[in-house]
Amino acid sequence: MTVAEAGLLIALGAVVFLDQWPAVQAMVSRPVVVGPIVGWILNAPGDGVLWGAVIETMQLAVQPVGAARYPDAALAGLLGTTAAMTGIQGAAYPAGWAVAVAVTAGWGGDAVGRMQRRWNGGTAAAVRSRVAQGSLGAPGRGIAVALSRGATLGAAQTAVGLAIVLAGGRLLAGTPWAGPLDADGVRIAAAAMAAVGGARVLGFGRRRAAALVLGTLAGVALVTWGGAA
Amino acid sequence: MKRDAGLSRRLRRVRRRVALRSTLLQAVWNYDSLQAVGFAWAILPGLERIRPDPEERAQRVHAHLESFNANPYMASLAMGVTLRMEEEIARGAAGAERRLARLLRALRGSLGAIGDDLFWTAWRPALGLAAAVAAMATASVWPAIVYLLAWNGLAQGVRVAGVRAGFAAGAGVARVLQDPFWAGASRAASLAGSFAAGVGLGAGGAWAVVGGGEWGGGAIFFVTVALLWLAGTRVGPRGRLMSPALAFLAVVILLGAIHHLSKGAWP
Repeated sequence: MTVAEAGLLIALGAVVFLDQWPAVQAMVSRPVVVGPIVGWILNAPGDGVLWGAVIETMQLAVQPVGAARYPDAALAGLLGTTAAMTGIQGAAYPAGWAVAVAVTAGWGGDAVGRMQRRWNGGTAAAVRSRVAQGSLGAPGRGIAVALSRGATLGAAQTAVGLAIVLAGGRLLAGTPWAGPLDADGVRIAAAAMAAVGGARVLGFGRRRAAALVLGTLAGVALVTWGGAA
Repeated sequence: MKRDAGLSRRLRRVRRRVALRSTLLQAVWNYDSLQAVGFAWAILPGLERIRPDPEERAQRVHAHLESFNANPYMASLAMGVTLRMEEEIARGAAGAERRLARLLRALRGSLGAIGDDLFWTAWRPALGLAAAVAAMATASVWPAIVYLLAWNGLAQGVRVAGVRAGFAAGAGVARVLQDPFWAGASRAASLAGSFAAGVGLGAGGAWAVVGGGEWGGGAIFFVTVALLWLAGTRVGPRGRLMSPALAFLAVVILLGAIHHLSKGAWP
């Protein structure tokens, strides 16, 4: 990985940290979108598309309902895809390593997100006291401070994560401990995760069960006759 | 436009600014006042029109810094309602301030429930599933692009329309929340998501048979599905046996071991 690529990934880490909850929530931070961007940065868009989809299936069941705590899907997508792409040996991805990175990054990112929310408490209190003194610019300044802090945290956690991913990838390269798996194996595991995650999250009613059966037939037809093999 | 007839001329022009600012609603999210700072900042352009005096304006902004939380896309509806009620408060309507506080407390729950059900429980998993399965089948970036367009078409559309609808409805906002659109959109997304989950199941099975090695590959796929299903099963009061992500890690390691032991050829 070149310095320019690492720099772009770190900048992407800042953007997706903000998109995940503090700003816009345009879902640029979802793994299925982050994966292709990482693939584009690392000059292998096809690998990025596959791994973005794989990590998206892992995160399907995670729902930010209310003020619930949830894993950082953006960091999981970014670092998991990077781990898969930088550790590839021939046709085999270090799949076990990449998924382990995605799981751990999800937890780590959640801890950083909680830290940001606690710091935001101080910013909100300062905004409140300044508005009480008549400053109408205080909310805007508070938002600017919180967003800058978020971008810095996003970039920093990505930089630390990248260092761990590259070091770990080097240690595991070529060993069975990386959980080597070819694209077929990865796709099969992710398709199973998509089916189970989707059915669990969306539930089963009569209509939903019918849609699931119809979808299964469509999936078989897509691969058998539609050239999606 | 006829639909704008209920909007006061002073506020019509700031509607889009409020909707745009609502994208930063959660910027200062914290465990004490939740989204309050983002909420107060978003409605500030409207308050500027209603309260030209900075001191009075600061008092109203301060009142909105107490606490607020709702689904981030649906919150713009509460912003529209707030501006409408702020106009009444500025006109000196009796009890308007108390009515607004009560209404906002009630809206927090309703907007959270409807928005979370529509966006987080139905649309996001459904679109994510469809995009992930399509991406695996086509190896193209188009599913990701379509995902972004579809999500933002709905989510940002609700944001923009919410300010207008909330302002037009004012205290009668319950009418907007009872619109069958919300339940219909959730149902449609659940059906589409179930269809996409089915496509994943069918395509995964077929990939395993075609690309993974005849019926041995198919058997491995269905054992994988069974293991993942089992991992999500509720066990006693402690909930799931294993988190989906950890179950997926276990499955990938298992498949990797099979792949390694069979020296790269699927059984």
